[in-house]
Amino acid sequence: MSKAFGIINFAGNHIRVDGLQSFRPVGAFSFLGRYRTIDFPISNMSNSGIDYIQVYVRQKPRSLTEHLGTGRHYNINSKRGNLQILYAEHNQIGDVYSTDIAAYMENMDCIEDIAFPYVVIAPSYMIYTADYSEFLKDHIESGADITMMYHSVDNAKEAFLNCNTLNINKQKGVLSIEPNHGNAKNRNIFMDTYVMSKELFIDLVKKAHKMSSMYTFFDIINEECTELDIRAMSHRGYFAAIADFNSYYQANMDLIDLKHASDLFDDKWPIYTRTNDSCPTQYFEGSKVTSSVISNGCLIEGTVENSILGRGCTIKPGAVVRNCVVSADVTIGRGVHAENLVIDKHARLVRGKRVIAAPEKPGYIKRGDAL
Amino acid sequence: MKQNNMLAMILAGGRGSRLHDLTKKVAKPAVSYGGKYRIIDFPLSNCANSGIDVVGVLTQYESILLNSYVAAGRRWGLDAKDSGVYVLPPREKSDANLDVYRGTADAISQNIDFIDTYSPEYLLVLSGDHIYKMNYAKMLAYHKECNADATIAVIEVPMKEASRFGIMNTDESTGRIVEFEEKPEHPKSNLASMGIYIFNWKQLRKMLTADMKNPDSSHDFGKDIIPTMLNNGGNLYAYKFKGYWKDVGTIDSLWEANMDLLDKNNELDLNDSTWKIYTEDVTALPQYVGAAAVIDRAFITQGCVIDGEVKNSVLFTGSKVAPGAKVIDSVLMPGAEVAEGAVVTRALVADGIKIGKNAVVGSAGSENIELVAKRVKGDE
Repeated sequence: MSKAFGIINFAGNHIRVDGLQSFRPVGAFSFLGRYRTIDFPISNMSNSGIDYIQVYVRQKPRSLTEHLGTGRHYNINSKRGNLQILYAEHNQIGDVYSTDIAAYMENMDCIEDIAFPYVVIAPSYMIYTADYSEFLKDHIESGADITMMYHSVDNAKEAFLNCNTLNINKQKGVLSIEPNHGNAKNRNIFMDTYVMSKELFIDLVKKAHKMSSMYTFFDIINEECTELDIRAMSHRGYFAAIADFNSYYQANMDLIDLKHASDLFDDKWPIYTRTNDSCPTQYFEGSKVTSSVISNGCLIEGTVENSILGRGCTIKPGAVVRNCVVSADVTIGRGVHAENLVIDKHARLVRGKRVIAAPEKPGYIKRGDAL
Repeated sequence: MKQNNMLAMILAGGRGSRLHDLTKKVAKPAVSYGGKYRIIDFPLSNCANSGIDVVGVLTQYESILLNSYVAAGRRWGLDAKDSGVYVLPPREKSDANLDVYRGTADAISQNIDFIDTYSPEYLLVLSGDHIYKMNYAKMLAYHKECNADATIAVIEVPMKEASRFGIMNTDESTGRIVEFEEKPEHPKSNLASMGIYIFNWKQLRKMLTADMKNPDSSHDFGKDIIPTMLNNGGNLYAYKFKGYWKDVGTIDSLWEANMDLLDKNNELDLNDSTWKIYTEDVTALPQYVGAAAVIDRAFITQGCVIDGEVKNSVLFTGSKVAPGAKVIDSVLMPGAEVAEGAVVTRALVADGIKIGKNAVVGSAGSENIELVAKRVKGDE
């Protein structure tokens, strides 16, 4: 059992995913067909022996609370463990008062009551796997006040533009945290993942709350960089941030390649999700499926190329789905060509026969929409 | 018990020896079927979907895997208060020695104490090795409507095959059973018993207590209990079931039942969201279909990786088809792997079996389906 409890934070105001986010928080986004993005941080915690987990939610909690349920599917001990879903009063995206600090302050009773001496904080909008028990162990051994996780990238000019970067010295001490302005390709992208003592966490939250009503946890850390011993720890493996529409599309598409997917998935590190009890997928005569990731419960009669299908999708004869990320229960009608799209849940593409977006600017089809 | 006062007992002791190596280590009800299921998921899901809260599973042969599998009642939603799935292997009791279940009726008799703790009004007896979807609540309503002592579910089979089944001869206007014949040489009807019975528990309890003491009885529902009830002039009714029903006793019939799932509007319809079949939840990835894959008529589940050709086949959880490999008219059980260039035709590849590079297994013209239960070496 871990010495830490977990906090899964909501995506802050700097994260904006057009389309999808109007219907649910980023944590509840469909990912690679059968998952939701929040399955990754929760599974990381569960696999690391953390089974007391707080999930903070602001806008449109329905799909997220439904998905999380009691948390049993995350393999958290059903008696000693706990998956708590906590709400914030200021819950409008873009509202300056809607900060993680405000949410922590509102739920301070629930935090103070927890008996674990450490806390691991992870975001709901980043996709990676990491062993937090190692992270915690290194943190304790180092004697640092805070340890932050980062990922070194060489494409920071065009990607991770809404993310923050860590400016670190040779001893891995964090000097400052800055937004990624996209002016250098090599950057240490901050993974919004921290470990510290519960005591320090509470102090910082209260301090931030006093200083400014619009401060986020990130702001107070930035302010304290010079006062506190903050270290950085590098992460290896697959890493993606769902920070805007294009990064959502790209992160999904990248994982169609099983070699990339093997960087993220490991049999010994299962990613749990809520079962839907869908039956296997039926490929009918005439179906043509290549380079794709297919979830269960689909009925395929048409062509699917370089795409991801969520659960329970129907692809009719003559339909072509190319370079698309398709959520659950979508229907692509007879003879419909769909290309370079993110198609949200329950959408039906039936009448318009050509729904094709430019490859460099993928399109979005709304949840439940009929075309 | 709260819902309909009916408790279900599933007979899952059968060995299924005609399934050869598939049932060497697991009992027949635990055999895999349909990509992601085990056969016993069907009666268990039917119970859950029919509003039955308490299910006893009578196990005997190679029951470790089956016991732990069904004990997780949560999978079928059977874990609410006053609900549960109970594994009931033969037990030693204070007034009786440990004894194997001597017959289907004896299996129930030996668990009278268990059933009494719930004192149900009705008892549903099921077989754990049939594949079908059925609403037992409707059958119970029929049982009550007929004011029956026992109701037996029947299915119409082709007349020429009727002599392979237990046949119910009924009064056509009322559906009342007048005669039961086990595998008759000259069948008078084509209504075959599905081995699904509803009894009034108090009445059955008396009969079972008497049957246990009868040295001439084989303690079987079909051979002893039902004929006795009929001889005593009991009100027995046949409940006609329409739909897909399969007893997969052999490799050929197990293969065939899997192949049935490839048909577009197959009768079993596992995709029906109003009557889902629940099973173990696995954490495998979605299906990965490679750039050179060719998939034509297939039923494929989570965890499969397909880089070769799959035609007319059913692939179970985590099975893999490498580039250049061909799987035709075949069934790959969980974790089976077909290496580069290997060709599998009209075969059923057992759990976790590897078919080596360029190996050839089965043939298109074979009379029977080839069961591959051992690793097939290929070019190294």
